[in-house]
Formats: sequence, C-alpha cells, structure tokens
Amino acid sequence: STGSRFYSSQVRKCTMIPGDGIGPEISQAVQKIFATAKVPIEWETVDVTPVRGPDGKFGIPQAAIDSVNRNKIGLKGPLMTPVGKGHRSLNLALRKEFNLYANVRPCRSLEGYKTLYDNVDVVTIRENTEGEYSGIEHEIVDGVVQSIKLITEEASMRVAEFAFEYTRENKRKKVTAVHKANIMRMSDGLFLRCCRDVAAKFPDIKFEEKYLDTVCLNMVQDPSQYDVLVMPNLYGDIMSDMCAGLVGGLGLTPSGNIGINGALFESVHGTAPDIAGQDKANPTALLLSAVMMLKHMGLVEQARIIETACYETIKEAKYLTGDLGGKAKCSEFTNEICAKISAH
Amino acid sequence: QKIPVALYGGRHAVTMLPGSGIGPELMAYVRDVFRYAGAPVDFETININPNTDESDDLIHAITSIKRNGVAIKGNIETKSEDTEVQSRNVAIRNELDLFINVLNCKSYPGVKCRQSNIDIVIIRQNTEGEYAMLEHESVHGVVESMKIVTQSNSERVARWAFEYAKRHGRKKVTIVHKANIMKLSDGLFLETSRRIAKEYPEIEHNDMIIDNCCMQLVSNPHQFDVMIMTNLYGSIVSNVICGLIGGAGLLSGRNYGDHYAVFEPGTRNTGTAIAGKNIANPIAMLNASVDMLEHLGHQQHADMIQQAIVKTICEDNIQTPDLGGHHSSSDVVQRVIDHIVHSDRT
Ligand SMILES: Nc1ncnc2c1ncn2[C@@H]1O[C@H](COP(=O)(O)OP(=O)(O)OP(=O)(O)O)[C@@H](O)[C@H]1O
Ligand SMILES: Nc1ncnc2c1ncn2[C@@H]1O[C@H](COP(=O)(O)OP(=O)(O)OP(=O)(O)O)[C@@H](O)[C@H]1O
Ligand SMILES: [Mg+2]
Ligand SMILES: [Mg+2]
Repeated sequence: STGSRFYSSQVRKCTMIPGDGIGPEISQAVQKIFATAKVPIEWETVDVTPVRGPDGKFGIPQAAIDSVNRNKIGLKGPLMTPVGKGHRSLNLALRKEFNLYANVRPCRSLEGYKTLYDNVDVVTIRENTEGEYSGIEHEIVDGVVQSIKLITEEASMRVAEFAFEYTRENKRKKVTAVHKANIMRMSDGLFLRCCRDVAAKFPDIKFEEKYLDTVCLNMVQDPSQYDVLVMPNLYGDIMSDMCAGLVGGLGLTPSGNIGINGALFESVHGTAPDIAGQDKANPTALLLSAVMMLKHMGLVEQARIIETACYETIKEAKYLTGDLGGKAKCSEFTNEICAKISAH
Repeated sequence: QKIPVALYGGRHAVTMLPGSGIGPELMAYVRDVFRYAGAPVDFETININPNTDESDDLIHAITSIKRNGVAIKGNIETKSEDTEVQSRNVAIRNELDLFINVLNCKSYPGVKCRQSNIDIVIIRQNTEGEYAMLEHESVHGVVESMKIVTQSNSERVARWAFEYAKRHGRKKVTIVHKANIMKLSDGLFLETSRRIAKEYPEIEHNDMIIDNCCMQLVSNPHQFDVMIMTNLYGSIVSNVICGLIGGAGLLSGRNYGDHYAVFEPGTRNTGTAIAGKNIANPIAMLNASVDMLEHLGHQQHADMIQQAIVKTICEDNIQTPDLGGHHSSSDVVQRVIDHIVHSDRT
C-alpha cells in the first residue's frame, strides 16, 4: 500500500521540518497558504539539527524522529549539508530512519515560465534504498577499485508496486521501466522482471521497457511520449534532475519520499544562503511538495485549489520572484496565491 | 599512436559488422556511396546471429578486426535470455581493448532541433566501469553487480582527452562523475583525471556530478567543451547531447585502442522499429564511414563524402522523418551520391 489514507475532515497532524537558509521563509509561506485554504492540518514543527547521542555520534534528535513516526507524514525544507568527513548526510539519515524507499518527482511545464519545452508532464519514480548507493566499495589491488550495485527482489517489487499504484491513483496511463538489462543482465534484469510481474497485475495501465540511454535520447527530443517512469536508484537520480532541467530547474519541482514508516515531502533545491532571510526565495517547489502531500493524504480537493492558485499566479506573471525573472518578494507571491484561494 | 591498418595492393581491407535492425540497410548505403566516391576500401562482411548462444560468429568477427585493424559496425543484438551470455558489443570492445569512445557533437545548421551551435566532444571510458559485466546472485532475489574502475584506464582516458584538447585547440575539459556517492570508484576516476590535468596547465578543467551535468546539458549546454567520464555516464551524456542536436540518426562515434579502431553511429541504437521501411536516417552511418576514411588516411574521399552530406541535409534539405523531413533513406543517399558524382575530383 502507498501509506495511510485519511478521508475524514478531522484535523491531521503533520511534521514540519523548516530547514536551513531560505527554509524558514518558504515554510512560512506554505503554512500561510494552507491556513488560507483552510486545510485541516495542524503543523508540528521540529528541528533536525544533529545532536550528539549517547554513543557520541551526531544524529537526528529523538523528538524529530518521534514526531514523524507519530504523524507518519512530514514536509521538509532544504537542509544544509555539513562539510567535512564523518558527517553522514542528514538527508540520507532521514531516508534510512523512515525507510523511504521510493522518491517521486513530478515534472510539469509551467505555463507562463518559458523554457525550451512546453509539453513536459512526467513523473520519475526512483528506487531509493539500494542499487549504486549501497556504499559497498573496495580496492581489490592497488589501482583497481570496485563498487557494488545491489539489486534485490524485495526493493524492486516494492517500488514497482508503488509506481503502478501511483499511476492508477493519479489517473495516469503508462509506466515505463528504465533499465540497462542489455548490459547488466542479472541486476537490471531482476529489476525489470519485477516490473513485468507487477505490470501483469495492472492490466489497465500500459507498460513498456526502455533502455536508459534511449530514454535520455527521446526525453530531450520529445518528453510528451513519457508518463510515469520507474527505475533503479542512480538512473532515477539522473533522470529526475534532467527532467527538472527541462521545466526550469529544482526551484519549481516538488518531490515526495514514500516509506514504510511514513512519507516525507520536500523541496529538492538547496538552502540558497545568498538570498536567505531577504524575502526573495521562491516557495513554489516546497508548496508543490506540500500539495503532493495533500494528494497522498487523500485531500485532493484542497490540493487542487492550492495547485491551481499557484499555477495561475505564475502564469499571470505579475508577482514572480527573482529566480523566475520577476521582482516580487516571496511574501508578495504568497499573498497573491492566498488572494486567489480566498476568491475561489 | 598510429594504429596499423591492412593494405593490399593499394586498397584497404575493413571489417564490416552490419548488426541488427537498420544496420544492414545502412551498410548497403555505405557500400553504394563508397563505390561512387571511388574509395579504395574492400569490406569483409561478417554477420553475427543474435539468436544463438554460440560465440563462433563473434570470434570470427574479432579475428577479422585483428587482421584488418579497422571495422565499421552497426548495433549487434544479443537476444539470449541466458545471463551468462554477454553483450557482443561489449565483448568486441573489451577483447580489442578499445578503451576510448569519442563523439564529436557539432550542430548541423539547418537541422531543426532543440539546441543550436553546440560543439562538444565527449570522451568516454569504453571498457570497464558498469560494463564490467561481473554479476552474481548471492542469495535468491539479491543480485550484486560490480563496477570496476582502474587507475590505469582512468589515466589513459584522461591523457587521451587532454592530448586531444591540446591538439585541437580546445579550451576546457569537464570531468563528469558521482564521486560524492561512489567515493572509491568514481573518486579514483576523478582524482586521476585531476592529476593528469595538472600536466596541462594551458587547458582549463572543472568537474561536475552526473545528475547536475544532465540538468545543465538540457538548460545551458554551451558551457561545455570537452567532457570525460566513465562508461555508463558516457552512454547517458552521448544520448542526451545527440537528442538535443538532432537525434540518433546524425552523429557518429569512434572507438579506439592502441591497436584497433572501430567506427559506428554515435548512439549505438538498433532501430528495430524502423528497420526495412526506408525511413532510417543514413547520415550517422555515413559519418562513421567518413571517420573511417580519415583514419585510413583517405582524406580526399572523406572530405568529398562529408561535403556531399552537408549539402544534402543543410542546403538541399533532403532529410528523413526523424529530422522533420519527408524524404526516404534512399532519397538522402541518392542526393549524397549525386553531389559526389558532380564534385570536382582533384
Ligand atoms: N527556492 C528558491 N528561490 C529562489 N532562488 C533559489 C531557490 N533555490 C535556489 N535558488 C538560487 O539558486 C542558486 C543555487 O541554489 P542552492 O540553494 O543550491 O545554493 P547552494 O549554495 O548550493 O546551497 P546548498 O549548499 O544548501 O545546496 C542560488 O543562487 C539561489 O539563490
Ligand atoms: N538511423 C536512424 N534514423 C532515424 N531514427 C533512428 C535512427 N536510429 C535510431 N533512431 C530512433 O532513435 C530511437 C531510439 O532507437 P532504438 O529504438 O533503436 O533504440 P534501442 O534502444 O536500440 O531499441 P531497439 O533495441 O528496440 O531497437 C528510436 O525512436 C529510433 O527510431
Ligand atoms: Mg540528484
Ligand atoms: Mg545546492
């Protein structure tokens, strides 16, 4: 299953991790928009700044872990990556802690923000726990190193099932499995077989298999031929960023991490220290991530209203932030979205 | 540095591996064009059956390339579901130690596509990395796949790239990697490339993580000049750039080792769906044949065909459907031949 569904109008608690840099301002923008739309959500704000645990190692504070485990759902702004060795990335720690096995990134062309592509509407679903990111590496002899890519049936089935369920729930039509089984015959072969097995259980959804390189070639020529793409970890990492590039970069694309113990939605851009605290940041990526969260919770009507107000505001181009070539402040862009929601 | 080639009575012998899909029809065009251009090349054609697990054809092909030194090939399919049977394309590259793959990605003015004025050279490690094909199932449902990076191969690639940049007046080399995650393997490639870069202070260099690189390629590709990378990233980057400047039917790719050279279309597609329909773009394979003629030292023949290609697609707008045209493959080839026939032979 894709996680818990909440269909009642009862107020739900969601964990909020505002993050660093521009994180607090864009989180505030999202909270304001949600309040205006009267979304039945109560935010529980937590701090994830690493603290020294009893074992002397730095880690996520227990209170934050407890909050996500209790609420099973959270929204997260950008986190500063600590520099220097020995520091595990906080993002990685969160992924491990909550068993976030699938990363979902919808990429859609925004009317009003011109790029070379105006027909992008794809969703990349990336296996998020194994593959090339297994971290198993050795130096076999001097000057010869190996990295191990680990593909398991369990993780492949899990992400494939999620991809098909997501496709059905979001009323999409087709799943493309992206692979390199012509070369990596056993590992990608296993991933592909899992996708095929799951596809057989979803006869209403079209299924196709494509080589990674062919998808790269076709995607930059005509992205409209793809719908939902599912793939192992590294391919997903690369394809998701490339698709974001087609529609204008990480500042506009939402992301969701689906896990066994909960789901965490996040903006994937950085902390933008150069503009932090100046009311200049664009909250779109975090807002659209929050919208994904609402859809995941079954609050589709509110999701639709907020999403439409956001798209409309960008399309009208009266209140655009600097990164989109406008002069508006984050708060002005936010107010305009709120005005549209209130007028609704 | 000079790779030996077979020469019999003033004519070169070259191995031709048509491969599957559109390979055979494209090779027929190459033969036609060579006949009209009077290129002094004889082909030794070897077909590799994609449906068998036997490796007789493959061994025969490799022996032929070892004898001739040079080959032109289409994409060879390996239909076997047996995980023990390796990709034949990879087997050929590994057996001949073709450690470099080069793609000159230069925009054709007159070809409608997403980006114009691109001029990027992709130099890719061609024999190891993710294509090591060392895999095993440790326990049921758990597969390990090895990626191998060696210092010696990384060094050969980096040196080849910086030498290339130096000889061709290129300004910058970008090292593409994922060393933040694959700290040892990609780390070794990155470190080695940086070390070699120090020997070429006149050439600028930088590095970029593969996912960011792909995002940059689709949004701001003009920042790139020469790019070097490990095997899999090479496949990705080649296809992204080819896609941006006209697709799979346009550009050629070159594979080099210390002893042999193999020429082929840049994106290595089979084109199963368009085979036998007279719609495949013949240009990528013709460009591969031009590369081969240059390699053999037949610069005049190479130039003659090259100019005929440019006139056909850029001036006459005789283009196949993949480029937005409405001409057949044979229309394109016929026009190329017409230009060759009418060109001044000096
Ligand atoms: N949401 C946003 N709104 C506006 N501009 C943004 C946003 N996110 C990023 N930018 C801009 O994009 C550029 C790169 O951003 P990014 O956050 O990745 O910076 P960074 O220095 O890499 O930070 P970090 O180290 O946290 O990744 C910056 O110039 C920043 O101003
Ligand atoms: N010479 C060519 N002319 C026109 N289109 C081409 C050419 N070569 C490849 N293509 C197109 O490029 C795309 C990718 O090629 P292709 O389908 O062969 O990839 P592939 O992954 O090798 O698949 P398959 O093994 O099914 O053939 C297809 O749309 C194909 O039609
Ligand atoms: Mg990424
Ligand atoms: Mg950043």
